[in-house]
Amino acid sequence: MLESRNDSFGDLLCDVKAEQKEYGTRYRRIKDFAYPDDVQMSVSFEIHFDAQLNRRVKNEPLMQMTRGEFGGRVGVWRLIETFAKHGVRATLFTPGRICELYPESLKEAVNKGFEIGNHMWEHRMPSEPDLERDHLKKATKAVEKLCGQRPVGSRSKHKIATLKHEGYLYASREDHPIDDFPYYTYDSEGNCILNFPFHYAGDDAIYYYLGFYGCDLAGNRPSDPSRVYDIWMNIFRQSYRMGRHMSICLHNFVSGHALRVAMLDKFLTELRKMPRVWFPTYREMAEYCLDRFPPH
Amino acid sequence: MPWKDGYTITDEKTMDDQDITWPNNNQCAVMVVVDLSVPSGADGIGPKEVAHNRAEFGAEVGIGRVLDLLDRHNMRATFAVPAIIAGVYHDTVCEIIKRGHEIAAHGYCHEDVNTLDKQEEERRIQISTEVLADICGERPSGWFALPRQQDPHPSGSVSLNTVDLLIDAGYAYLGNSMADDIPHYWVTDFTSKRNILALPYYYHFDDLFFFDFPPLGTGSNCENPEALFQNWKQEFDAQYQRGRCFHMVVHPYLVGWSHRLVTLDDIFSHIQTVPLVWNPTGNECTQYWTDRYPSDRYLNLEESIWTDYPGSLS
Repeated sequence: MLESRNDSFGDLLCDVKAEQKEYGTRYRRIKDFAYPDDVQMSVSFEIHFDAQLNRRVKNEPLMQMTRGEFGGRVGVWRLIETFAKHGVRATLFTPGRICELYPESLKEAVNKGFEIGNHMWEHRMPSEPDLERDHLKKATKAVEKLCGQRPVGSRSKHKIATLKHEGYLYASREDHPIDDFPYYTYDSEGNCILNFPFHYAGDDAIYYYLGFYGCDLAGNRPSDPSRVYDIWMNIFRQSYRMGRHMSICLHNFVSGHALRVAMLDKFLTELRKMPRVWFPTYREMAEYCLDRFPPH
Repeated sequence: MPWKDGYTITDEKTMDDQDITWPNNNQCAVMVVVDLSVPSGADGIGPKEVAHNRAEFGAEVGIGRVLDLLDRHNMRATFAVPAIIAGVYHDTVCEIIKRGHEIAAHGYCHEDVNTLDKQEEERRIQISTEVLADICGERPSGWFALPRQQDPHPSGSVSLNTVDLLIDAGYAYLGNSMADDIPHYWVTDFTSKRNILALPYYYHFDDLFFFDFPPLGTGSNCENPEALFQNWKQEFDAQYQRGRCFHMVVHPYLVGWSHRLVTLDDIFSHIQTVPLVWNPTGNECTQYWTDRYPSDRYLNLEESIWTDYPGSLS
């Protein structure tokens, strides 16, 4: 065994394999995932209602706040309208604070049959456990009160135990394994939740967002919607061929701009032309997985 | 809208497409901004910035080409001019006015005003207004705060005092805000509803982020005319269908060179392929909008419903 080499390589290999093994215990992919007979693949759209909140978290100046304000004031309405036009129900992951800034838009989303999910309280994750629980409680309560539906999914890094305690069925995190279908995640106490995988190629932010997550402005080259359309159509075609679940992530302050709404409209038109494509909300997909392929 | 100091500058929801009308039954408004600032850091334009080949190219070659292209397409633009640039290129400013365009202010020397205290910022606004009034024969109506390429954010900079100071100084409009893609009211005080009209801006329609971007020495692939043209074209098409507003920003020192002029020519040509396009200057648009949609009737501010909590950001 290489691990028993009496040198630095043996030590390194031991350490790496131990960590890898530990990582592996935290996730369990669904074996032999299958759709209902009449479904070839599924597509889910998630909208992140960041608006100004992430700008505030990063203490950005006033003009940057207007960049986020566009999302609540203009962008979200266009996304709701576009999905409704195509009869596709997306999942709107919203920070709880949006209930105090753009309540009308959330009510409109509910009217149009959207699922409202959790996206933290104020778009940050407190490290103190009491505050972490408090933020989820506040956000869940605010959305339930305004929207008349209690969120069951969270696009955040809330702990599994915190989420389960508040009755959440699923989570979505970009730092967990990337796979073709949702899978189960476990914490060290054995708490379990279904997690939706995330890949940045399906996220509008990487293409359009100058100054993305600590990236120096000088490191960015903005795309136009045609380029993103081509890439997303290729993701779709490959997903269709493979019979996998595809997620597209939109931020209303990014994709709510008119040129990108036009592209989304075209994209949805093309997707809907294909037979046997299922467009579940995240909740519907989660319920399907939990029902057909429960965790052991 | 549920107002929230520090988070919102205007009301909760934009105007619906169908509620927007433009003069003379026009379908869509198109505004062209020509920014005469030249590259600088946060301190703005000084001797070294002007005595540089880019600035020199813009002033000696680029501006003429942009003006000729505007003439050829019968289009009018708003020129955002830092006071120091107007002082150095006095004759150019007069020529721009002669050709029928508007001169708007663009700072004292295009500095990041967040580096100034309130008194200094006020002083500089006053001087800039006087200087432009002196050169142009009338004071500017609009004030722009467009970004510098190497700013940390691609949004442009206003301080917490800027908009209030502009209202005090009698400006009719702020040239750039990202909160909407149509003109909208930027509110500085909720209780009194004190506001100024802001014109829409989005950095994806600004050639600053597509030509020589990222700046040499900080990255590669800094020539992206096709992405810029697609953004312009797709946004114009989408805004025309909606009956809203299309805006674009160009810099003569960038767009005035070689093939980039074709990109500009092409978008102007594309805009001309449809009828009923209104092409106002910033001031004309402001006069129309504030008259047709006055803030006392169309700005729908609502009391804040925000509650502060320990452990939450205020």
